[in-house]
Amino acid sequence: MLPGSIQPPKSLWLETADGLQEEVEHEVAMLCPFVYNEVYHQPGKGMTRKTPILLPQQVSMSVLKPILEYCRFHQLPGRSNKERKLFDERFIRLDTKRLCELTAAADSLQLKALVDLTSRALARMIEGKTPEEIRETFHLPDDLTEEEKLEPLRNTTDDPRIRLLNRLYAKKRKELQEKEKLKGINQAELQDERSLEDLLLFINGTGEDSKSRKGGRCKKKRNHRKKKEHSKAEISENASSSKIDPESDDAFTFDTELDGDDDLDPLMKEELDREVEDFARRLNFGWPGRQISRVSSALLIESWGDGNKE
Amino acid sequence: MRIRPIPPLGSFSSNPPVDLALIHQVLSDDLLFEIFVRMTPYGLGVAACVCRKWRYATRNPVLWQKACLTTWQIFGVEENLQMVRSSYGGSWRRMWIMRPRLRFDGIFVSRNTHLRTGVAEWKVLNPVHLVCYYRYIRFYPSGRFLYKVSPHRLKEVAKYLHGKGSMVNSVYAGRYTLDHNNNQVDATTLYPGLKTVVRIRMRIRSTTEGANNRLDILAIVTSGIQEAEIGGHEEQVLEAVEGWQEDETHNPDVPAVSHKRGLAPFVFVPFHEVETSDLNLPVEKMDFYVPG
Repeated sequence: MLPGSIQPPKSLWLETADGLQEEVEHEVAMLCPFVYNEVYHQPGKGMTRKTPILLPQQVSMSVLKPILEYCRFHQLPGRSNKERKLFDERFIRLDTKRLCELTAAADSLQLKALVDLTSRALARMIEGKTPEEIRETFHLPDDLTEEEKLEPLRNTTDDPRIRLLNRLYAKKRKELQEKEKLKGINQAELQDERSLEDLLLFINGTGEDSKSRKGGRCKKKRNHRKKKEHSKAEISENASSSKIDPESDDAFTFDTELDGDDDLDPLMKEELDREVEDFARRLNFGWPGRQISRVSSALLIESWGDGNKE
Repeated sequence: MRIRPIPPLGSFSSNPPVDLALIHQVLSDDLLFEIFVRMTPYGLGVAACVCRKWRYATRNPVLWQKACLTTWQIFGVEENLQMVRSSYGGSWRRMWIMRPRLRFDGIFVSRNTHLRTGVAEWKVLNPVHLVCYYRYIRFYPSGRFLYKVSPHRLKEVAKYLHGKGSMVNSVYAGRYTLDHNNNQVDATTLYPGLKTVVRIRMRIRSTTEGANNRLDILAIVTSGIQEAEIGGHEEQVLEAVEGWQEDETHNPDVPAVSHKRGLAPFVFVPFHEVETSDLNLPVEKMDFYVPG
């Protein structure tokens, strides 16, 4: 036989991962770059049943059938775009298991268009669901700790915490200053002022400490033990300050009206209060180290309590 | 090929848990990436909460780079690249979360109410009307926006807040710029008739980090403009009004007015909440603190 006169075969033989052979029309099979490459590098392969082209292991017979259907449909040039779209829409109405298998198989056969289609379908399935629903749909394990599940968009470094704490400190400082002013009008108890200043220093001091410590550790990947140490310091302040919140708020709803407009308007204040309590609650959730912090916060509260007695 | 799942930290079980997730057995990490790259950034955030493997998979910087470049496309690739390197330590994900941006996956609604005394009729001697109207803005990443003022509620108006602005529904199209030094958005649109230009200046705010779901109105100014300045292209309206003072008007027929009423902040409503949002409630039932 002259080399130049080899006719392209009418059909090719493909063997799936589970050992079954299938005869496929030549044009349809060649749509898959994988098959094309096989034929190109090993001419004569797939001509007979005994020498089929071996498909990758992700392609079982049950998955090959829909893929061939897809190739057969799209291989014909005479289809309009609308027809193709309709076919695609109906084609991907499969359960998640089938879709995943189809995606893997299409990827192994290098059928980019089909991979794109199935990926989009899976993305659509995921989008709009809550994590719980997603886990159910795909049977995924629920193996994140409580702390990790907080706020999907939160940074893994602790920047937002620091910022929130700073806001909290700034707010508390302002409130304390106002209280000081009021006290100055009513009574002149030196004892009170000193303790307030102490507390302010304490807040400032630890605030800066934890900030600088965090800055150094920022580059390291998550190291749970170290994080717990830092957060203990934060929690003790937060716990004490969050406990202060209800008291000071009661005292202040009247006072701020007397003072007139605060630097923060009341809505923002409410929001901040809510955020702080939320935040403190969440911190308490995630960190088992709070047992120890409770003791230290109790001590703090005593000194606060003394300062606040009228 | 069976992929052993990573046991969660702290589990000391002797037999490693079988990852029942078929999706992880079947799909390679490349394919998981293919799926994630076709999701919105908020979808990625939710996906990161699903399981440990997905938490790590969503940290892929390519995903966030794509999100950033799409959202801030009015600045161009070069400037975005520079920004991420200088201000956000090279982390696209951090820039996405921390840098203020407009949201394009929904509509901003500003609900304005005021009281008006009415005309006494029959038995009602001192009627007082509660007037309630809404401003709607929808932004596009290309620099365009659509604007409408209407007493109609969100779910009705949402239906035609798309495409080009239409005169029939009095939806006005305009262009906006974003100034990231002070989180300000300047939106400018032209009323039909080509004589009046409306400029709205807003500031972006978030109720929780990264939400970017509030726009506080700093000023709304209507002023006159000469038809010649625009030259028939509404895209150029931004350049035409660049640098105008607040009381500047180029058309003596239309005085420059900086409006003092109806400046309630815009609340963001994502598309999937448009039907069910509280902003659809009639005036009597609405909670006045929804805009926040």
